[in-house]
Amino acid sequence: MKVPDGAALLTFDGQALHAGEQPGRTFMVDARCLDGEPVAGAYAQVCSLTDAAAALPYDHPEVQQARRDALAWWIPLLGDALVCLTTLALDEARFGGAITVTTEPAYLDEDPFARLFAPTLVRSDLFCRVPPPAGPVIERYAGVAWPGGTLPDS
Amino acid sequence: MSPAPQPGEVFPDLDLPDHTGRERRLSELAGGDPVVLLFSRGWWCPKEQRHLREVVRLQDEFEVAYTRIVVVSTDEPEVQAAFRAGLGARFVFLSDAQRRWLPRLELLEETDTLHHPYRPTAFTLMPDLTVSRRWDGYWYWGRPTMEDLRQEMRAISRAVRPAFER
Repeated sequence: MKVPDGAALLTFDGQALHAGEQPGRTFMVDARCLDGEPVAGAYAQVCSLTDAAAALPYDHPEVQQARRDALAWWIPLLGDALVCLTTLALDEARFGGAITVTTEPAYLDEDPFARLFAPTLVRSDLFCRVPPPAGPVIERYAGVAWPGGTLPDS
Repeated sequence: MSPAPQPGEVFPDLDLPDHTGRERRLSELAGGDPVVLLFSRGWWCPKEQRHLREVVRLQDEFEVAYTRIVVVSTDEPEVQAAFRAGLGARFVFLSDAQRRWLPRLELLEETDTLHHPYRPTAFTLMPDLTVSRRWDGYWYWGRPTMEDLRQEMRAISRAVRPAFER
């Protein structure tokens, strides 16, 4: 898997998350989520499936709307409990789901990305605190999983 | 003349809590993109409500155009969160309820001795926070129209995106 600058690999095996390419389904995530001081015992809600066919275009209206909802109310609802959030990219065009990482397992039933792929809640020591996206941009930057990355010429 | 930056000068890297109470910096919110930075009186002002409703309509273009919007007011974060939700905004509000930056920028609206708010002022910023344009919005018609902001985002994007015209 070719990984653009600003992206990192993460594998979901259906029960746990692993950094890098491991047995299971591997995605590209916003690299900032794995680059720093990890938060021990965080709750990671994985809205994704291990089935390789479970993918949608990033440009699908429902995928766009989930990103709008994340900016509008999902991130504010989580408040200080939010550790980080990343979508799961499969390539330049396809969305494989999203992960929201929190310090408290509250409000996770409201996750807008759970509308797209059924959620699995796992405990993880992999994730770091990342400032939430500023909005209102919902587009991907240089192929990196939203909300990560910057344009290469900026 | 206010010491708030003029075109060609670099805007200070504001450090303020956002509408969720989380500390943010303006440079982080810019994230390498052009920015519309709006200093606003607050949720209670009909002129602010009207202008921000227009800006919220514009966010549907900003969300696909790699451009950012940031609003600063003296409202408390929880008030901003409610105002933002009511507007349907998906961009960041920064709270200067403690008036940390207001006196340094000398943007106090001196005719309002009740709220001590910001004097409505709008800036467009390059990704490095250099001011492109400034509008003094004490009078409503002094504010940028949405077409002004579109034209500014086009001009800045043309200047900073080498592949803008292929």
